[in-house]
Amino acid sequence: MDFSSVLSGFTVAFEWQNILFCLLGVTVGMLIGVLPGLGPAATIAILLPVTYNLEPTAAVIMLAGIFYGAQYGGTITSVLLKLPGEASTVVTALDGHALARRGQAGPALGIAAIASFIGGTASIILLTFIAPALAGVALAFGPAEYTVLALIGIFLVGTLGNGSVIKSAAAAAAGLLLATVGLDPLLGTPRFTFGTDQLADGIDFTIVAMGLFGVGEILYNLEHRDRPQTGVPSFGRAIPSRLHWLQSRLAILRGSVTGFILGILPGGGATMSSLVAYAVEKRTAKDPSRFGKGAIEGVAGPESANNAAATSSFIPLLTLGIPANATMAVLFGALMLQGITPGPQLMSDHPDVFWGVVNSMYLGNILLLILSIPLIGLFVRMLKVRPGILAPITVVITMIGTYSIRNNAFDMLLVIGLGLLGYGMRKLGFEPGPFVLAFVLGSLLEASFRRSMRIFGGDVTEYVKQPVSGTLVAILVLTVVIVPLLRKVRTRQTAGAEAAGVKAD
Amino acid sequence: MQHPLPRRGLLAGLAALPPLAALSACQVQGGADEANASFPTRAVDFWVPFDAGGSGDLISRAVAKAAEEPLGESLPVTNKPGANGAVGLKELLAGKADGYTICLAVKSLFAIGPLVVDDPDAVTIDQLRIITTLTNEGYVLVVHADSPYQTLEDLLAATHVNYGTTGVGTGSQLSAGLLFGIAGVEATDVPFDGGGPTVTALLGKDIDAASLSLAETMPHIQAGDMRALCVFSEERSVYLNEVPTALEKDLNILVDQRRFIVVPADTPDDVVGVLTLAFEDAREGGEYGQFLQDNYMERWEVDGIEAQLHLAEATEQFAAQIAESGVELGTAE
Repeated sequence: MDFSSVLSGFTVAFEWQNILFCLLGVTVGMLIGVLPGLGPAATIAILLPVTYNLEPTAAVIMLAGIFYGAQYGGTITSVLLKLPGEASTVVTALDGHALARRGQAGPALGIAAIASFIGGTASIILLTFIAPALAGVALAFGPAEYTVLALIGIFLVGTLGNGSVIKSAAAAAAGLLLATVGLDPLLGTPRFTFGTDQLADGIDFTIVAMGLFGVGEILYNLEHRDRPQTGVPSFGRAIPSRLHWLQSRLAILRGSVTGFILGILPGGGATMSSLVAYAVEKRTAKDPSRFGKGAIEGVAGPESANNAAATSSFIPLLTLGIPANATMAVLFGALMLQGITPGPQLMSDHPDVFWGVVNSMYLGNILLLILSIPLIGLFVRMLKVRPGILAPITVVITMIGTYSIRNNAFDMLLVIGLGLLGYGMRKLGFEPGPFVLAFVLGSLLEASFRRSMRIFGGDVTEYVKQPVSGTLVAILVLTVVIVPLLRKVRTRQTAGAEAAGVKAD
Repeated sequence: MQHPLPRRGLLAGLAALPPLAALSACQVQGGADEANASFPTRAVDFWVPFDAGGSGDLISRAVAKAAEEPLGESLPVTNKPGANGAVGLKELLAGKADGYTICLAVKSLFAIGPLVVDDPDAVTIDQLRIITTLTNEGYVLVVHADSPYQTLEDLLAATHVNYGTTGVGTGSQLSAGLLFGIAGVEATDVPFDGGGPTVTALLGKDIDAASLSLAETMPHIQAGDMRALCVFSEERSVYLNEVPTALEKDLNILVDQRRFIVVPADTPDDVVGVLTLAFEDAREGGEYGQFLQDNYMERWEVDGIEAQLHLAEATEQFAAQIAESGVELGTAE
């Protein structure tokens, strides 16, 4: 690799106007991340005209900053209000919000910021050294591989729940069912659209997440607002204690690597990464029952993973010209408007843009960490606001965010409807987590399965015969069948041994 | 003065029809008694019925920016995606026909959509008025550079072909479907969710071939990762001069994507005139021209009536070809 261009990228990234645009980008990103529903894709689209007259590198540095800055900001609402604005922060909401309810919002957000910083930075370092080699990873994943990957994801969703397994499965099944709404992905036949074009493209993930989690949670809390608040002390402290750090440092490490690898996959990589990171933490934990009730690792793992994934999702865009998600699609557009075609020739034709943008991310992550600490202290104070005041404000902001996704009023009705569903689910003890994640993975699974079956001419054995999907099938069998079986055998042995011990006494 | 004299606007106006030039002059002078003189007095909303970042979005932003000066007002772009553009157009029709909301539209929605989805409420071109036409984007049939198929003949001699499409009711699906249908090749279509995933699948060798737009494929053709076998335009593309057309190979297939801007059909004539002039002027802009070139798009610049005629003819032609070749779009599993 040509290191002189990497180094000259630093010169580009540290030009004063580029530093300024980086700061501007990450600040805007962090703020819109905090506003539920208003996602980075919509914001970048709104800001596109502003970038016309900018120099290409400065423009992309700023827009990229909005994207990864939003990942930091999105965590704040997930933790404080249980309002995940992105699929990748859904699992953060589980333990993050539980921590906030226990009065540990500050440390939870502090660890999240540090995890995000480490995940993001580790990912840039990996990107710098192996990005060109990894371009092929994105291509090795075709419909067959996504089918198995989505299947693994759906089984992992099962590990999220804490309550009854049957209720988790029922919620996940309902999520899968909701994913079928819209035009059939292969044939275009309308399904459950009730004759309206509004549902033709299915339901946007953000709407499902904000409805079930956000609005549902608000309704549930309003009902319980007469109850005394279960202690909301010490939220000003954003710097986590030594104990928190010790508990989460390995989670951050594992999350960074998971996130980096899965983030390269266009389509569902970031969501899968946070889910996998959470599942790994829960399974390796000495006491998995802490998860869902406020385990700091449950915040640290997924947060480092989704930030690492956000960074590595630039790889397919910058090396192949393939946008990995909606935000990357808009960034793709921004580059095209600048007369630069993202793709295989970007690195050789415009090394200054490529390395300038990549290296600006180091700075961006540092700026975000510095910005986070005081802002967390500020945002955590939101919890002091009485629910009677906070709830309507949150609903209004959620509605604005919902409208901004497609500039469509129908979506606001949907979010209210889903909010009522979320409220009903909470009342009856169903968890929204499995529902929302099954919803995301359901569309991926269905479309990929049907595509791959067409490609294979209906031969199911091809999933095992193809090298990459075959490996994934092996992982699936290992995690879903063999490990649980072994664990069961071991628990039985331990139980047997204990029983024997009791007898001996 | 609120509307400064647009230099290029005046030139284009003089070159255009005299009555329209006069309208333009009235607007510039701000004659209060003329109905058109009061249009526009505020920003004109430019709706793009597709997601931000796609080709339609980019063209709209490029042309909207160029039209601001001749129109004398800003044209903020808003994305109203859904159902291949139908959601945005239906919302346009539900609103006021006063010219303050204009919307991008594409040929495939009118010419291919009705052949695939039976929707009695579908927006028809009669409900709209075309204020300006913008681009003509060709489709090119590509295979992976490592593919054993060197020429179109090689591919059509294959025993079985898996081809990717960018979705149901797209020109990508129609052109490739017609090709294999007319040539009598046993082929399976694998619809993906848009151009990006289809390109990925072809580069990953999950599919054998795909018909895609030039903008989606040219960077990969130039990088040597894809090979172009034929184009589906009437003449060879200026960007791919060495690649034959399907017509040259005696396969009567003509499929392209065209983009244009519409308002509801009952929008007043003078308002349409002002908008038409502004966009005629915008198309002359150097940056817009550069944008088209950078994205391998060709100009399609005809008047509204000719454009509507073209769309009506294309629908009939596609329906006849589909019936003739026995291709099924979006019905067979």
